[in-house]
Amino acid sequence: MQIIFFILAGVALVTGGLVVFQRHPLRSALWLIVNFFAVAGIYLLAHAEFIAAIQVIVYAGAIMVLFLFVIMLLNLREPEAEAKFMHLGQKVGGIILAVFTVLLLIYGVMQVVLPPGKAAPPGLGNTESIARLLFTDYLLPFEVTSVLLLVAIVGAVVLAKSKLK
Amino acid sequence: MTADSLLLVLVFFPLAGSLLALGAGYQPRLCRWVSLILSLMQMALISLLFFLDLQPHSGPTGTWLLAVDYPWLEGIGARFSLGLDGLSLLLLWLTAFLTVISVLISWTAINLKVGLFHFFLLFLEGCLMGLFMATDLLLFYLFWEIQLIPMFFLLGIWGHARRIYAAVKFVLFTFGGSLFMLIALLVLYVLHGHQTGEYTFSLYQLSQTPLSPTVEGWLYAAFLLAFAVKIPLVPLHTWLPDAHTEAPTAGSVDLAGLLLKTGFYAFFRFAFPLFPGAAQASIPLLLALGLVGMFYAAWIALAQTDIKRLVAYSSIGHMGLMVLALGIWNLMALSGSLLQLFNHGISTSALFVMVGMLDERLGSRNFQDMGGLWQQMPVFSAFFLFFALSSMGLPGLNNFVGEILILLGAFQIRPLIAVLAFVGVLLTVIYILRMVQDSLFGESRRVQPLRDVTPREVLILAVMALPVLYIGLHPGPVLRLFESSLQVMWGQFPMLARSLGG
Amino acid sequence: MTLNIPSFNLASIGPWITLSIFAIAILLADALSPKGNRTAAPLLALAGLAVAGFQTISLWGKNGLDFARMVYVDNFSLFFYMVFILGTALTVLISLQYLKDYGKNLAEYYALLLFATVGMMLMAAGAHLIMIFLGLEVMSIAVYVLAGLFREDARSNEAALKYLVLGAFASAFLLFGMAMLYGAAGGTLFLNDLPGRLTAGFKPLTLLAIALLVVGFGFKVASVPFHMWTPDVYEGAPTSVTAFMAVGVKTAAFAAFARVFFLAFPTLMPDWTMVLWVLAVATMTLGNVVAIAQTNIKRMLAYSSIAHAGYLLVALVAANQLGAVSLMYYLLAYTLMNLGAFGVVILVGRKKDSYLSIYDYAGLGAQHPALAAAMALFMFALAGIPPTAGFVGKFYIFSAAVKAGYIWLAIIGVMNSVVSVYYYLRITVLMYMKPAEADLGPINFAPAVTATLLLTAAGVVLIGVFPGFLYNLALNSVKIFPGL
Repeated sequence: MQIIFFILAGVALVTGGLVVFQRHPLRSALWLIVNFFAVAGIYLLAHAEFIAAIQVIVYAGAIMVLFLFVIMLLNLREPEAEAKFMHLGQKVGGIILAVFTVLLLIYGVMQVVLPPGKAAPPGLGNTESIARLLFTDYLLPFEVTSVLLLVAIVGAVVLAKSKLK
Repeated sequence: MTADSLLLVLVFFPLAGSLLALGAGYQPRLCRWVSLILSLMQMALISLLFFLDLQPHSGPTGTWLLAVDYPWLEGIGARFSLGLDGLSLLLLWLTAFLTVISVLISWTAINLKVGLFHFFLLFLEGCLMGLFMATDLLLFYLFWEIQLIPMFFLLGIWGHARRIYAAVKFVLFTFGGSLFMLIALLVLYVLHGHQTGEYTFSLYQLSQTPLSPTVEGWLYAAFLLAFAVKIPLVPLHTWLPDAHTEAPTAGSVDLAGLLLKTGFYAFFRFAFPLFPGAAQASIPLLLALGLVGMFYAAWIALAQTDIKRLVAYSSIGHMGLMVLALGIWNLMALSGSLLQLFNHGISTSALFVMVGMLDERLGSRNFQDMGGLWQQMPVFSAFFLFFALSSMGLPGLNNFVGEILILLGAFQIRPLIAVLAFVGVLLTVIYILRMVQDSLFGESRRVQPLRDVTPREVLILAVMALPVLYIGLHPGPVLRLFESSLQVMWGQFPMLARSLGG
Repeated sequence: MTLNIPSFNLASIGPWITLSIFAIAILLADALSPKGNRTAAPLLALAGLAVAGFQTISLWGKNGLDFARMVYVDNFSLFFYMVFILGTALTVLISLQYLKDYGKNLAEYYALLLFATVGMMLMAAGAHLIMIFLGLEVMSIAVYVLAGLFREDARSNEAALKYLVLGAFASAFLLFGMAMLYGAAGGTLFLNDLPGRLTAGFKPLTLLAIALLVVGFGFKVASVPFHMWTPDVYEGAPTSVTAFMAVGVKTAAFAAFARVFFLAFPTLMPDWTMVLWVLAVATMTLGNVVAIAQTNIKRMLAYSSIAHAGYLLVALVAANQLGAVSLMYYLLAYTLMNLGAFGVVILVGRKKDSYLSIYDYAGLGAQHPALAAAMALFMFALAGIPPTAGFVGKFYIFSAAVKAGYIWLAIIGVMNSVVSVYYYLRITVLMYMKPAEADLGPINFAPAVTATLLLTAAGVVLIGVFPGFLYNLALNSVKIFPGL
């Protein structure tokens, strides 16, 4: 199990890096798909079957297709020129800060003394138990999400409607 | 309705009146009359208090002639409490009196936004009424800050060429100083609350807070800073000459006659009773600041070519002498000093009024354009000489009484200081005489004849001359008022009496 | 197989439901009404806010949880509901004419305002971190769109994009922090449960979580060093939206900030107050100092809003009852004075914001005395000069800091107030003491905006002179924080 986790984590990290460092957006998007799959595998390991499935269907499937559509519609043949506005100092400072933050996070997490792990209760993370939670304890957040989606739709319409009355 | 609630009327009548004046602003003439009548009514109301035969009685906020106390900021412990004693009574009267004068001298000089101008004048009067009576420190701070607003506009809208610079400098100096007072106030409030469990801003209760000498020293320093800016004490005085030079005449009158008084009053009323130990320790500092103020002001005044700036520096000198009297702290010097507070309000304001009249006629305040005025405007010059003599302390006029009391009081305890102060007073004589010499006498350098004072102006000057003569010739009743106030104060703040001796 | 849906009372989220329904009604009414007729939308929005306000008042005094412990029904959240409703209603009033001038009086605008208000209420009342996060997102997405309302205007686009990208970044931080907290607390995000579950062994993780939450909230309240977006977004967004952001978003973020930190981390107070101390000082100082150099009134108000976030952080640092009370009072006062100031900016700016330089205010005192008087009042209030609400608010905040022993913080705050007087006063100086460079021309006093100015001006003075009522309300509300 542990070996699988480390392989998946390694893939996720490497492809994550590749997403950022690709010049061409199309390649970034494709690497992102691989990344999503790796993360979905990690979810599976953690007994989060539902999330893993959602990850593949929604992110790797629907959202990435949308991304690719947009990128292709924009018809970016030439990779974008490298941004010129970054000074060397900004770059170095940014990298130092980022590394420092990561080290801080790692340090914080390392300090934690974990209690001995328990086996996951049966059924944790499968669709049924999540659905049960969504309609009992998390009923209100679940419903609020619909408001969130409605707001997003209205917002998209306002910004994208071809001609405003 | 008891006589006590009169205090509320005193505060809110001018504030309400200011709105009336603003409303009447569409017709300048009407507005002037409305303001004049309102300010006269206020003055009559305060004069009435002199005849009520008030006796001090103690209440929850201390011993006062009259006092009111209402809840205000519940939960915080701030109350709307006012108290009146002899000192505040006299300062209230001075405020009302100078407001009447301000309205009168602006009769023809102010033609721009008349309604707004009188609104600010009366609003300022209301704030000062509250300030001179507040016995709750937060209420006092509130009035202390609000009075900046009308003064800022009076300076900034109706002032002379560099008015904006002067107005902003004035606000930043005083606002900056007083915020430190706010912090000190809060610290005191919290300390008192921690110790007694009762959170209050009452002067009477806060003065009983036991403080460690270090804390007391810091708090006192913060108060000192706020008040020293307002008095002003050298070296925090630099806003004053600018403000005076740029202010319209009414603004100068209010500034010299009233706002400077608030600093001294607050020092006396709040800083000393609250921090008697630190106040005692600061006596050498006060003496030094007072003397430095007197000498510095005299030195600078001698070099002035602008007559208004000279009068402004004379103000600093006079305030220096009063602060020196605080450092002496015996009954005689203090009575003299409080009397000087009143005297300075009248005499210096009168000088500013006359400088303003001169400016209207000459279009200049420079000594180079003066000289020989006596031949051209004898009535004006006679009044000018009269007030100049009053300001330098001629026997028989008001300032003499105050100054001699301070000097005599000083001789009793600190002869050396007294001698130095005496020299300072002599220096005042020199520069005032020089001012008279350069303006009234000598060769006239003007070709066109100058118009002498109009009846309205004679009325103003005559009215201002009356208190000068009255106090100069018959200071007894006023002094008795102060002495009784001081006795009450010492009775009320035993720590103060113990630290400084009565 | 059965689902046991926990019992709930719809009335406890009545205001949310009302506002959502009215928002949808606005959209429907717009779709069904003949073209060009858009008078219904603002009226509907105001009606919805009025109903929600009524519901809020009728809930007052309740104290409990509802919807499987997901939402608080207590005076703390209800107080903030009222502030949001007030802020949104005033925003609706100042928007109408402004949007008409731009030809952008869209029904969607009002619907999004109402949705954003629902999001704010979620933030103030959320009893579970996921609720707070959802509220934050509902509010933010609505505001991102509103900031980009003027699509043809490059600055508005820039504002929307900048806000969106950086806002998403901040949301990620917040979410990351919540995830850490979930781990540290052994699998719960209920605010009520957190203090008992955050054991000492997990302190490093908890501290990390707190740091990330500070970043997330710090972004929304525009505190240094997460403030970089503020000036550009405030300047580029439509003025009415800027007003809404400055007032509503900040208030909501502070409500959630205070609730989470006071309720969930009372035991870690020494740790997070130290961080917030530094943030407060940096925020106040940078906001005030940079504001001095601004010549665009919207940018100036943006930096002033940063500075005010700093003062409000002081109230959080104080972390005592008075601190919480002062936070609530100040946010209400700030809503009034800032909306008033933006109302004046809209009136003076006129058609398509042509007059946004502070030098356009020269001579206003002579040509439009009432408008100048109102602006002067708001400037004095923002500077904290008595007898305005701004003074009382600052007074409460600094008292709280002194009471908690942070005397230096109070002194720094006070010195910052002095600095701020300079730039607020400059507007007043320009209005009254400088002649106009050119004739200002007529100003279209739209009745709704005029009413807003009257209301806010009266409010600023009234709650400044008689703060007792509000103080008691707020004091009553902060009893829910046992750790204070």
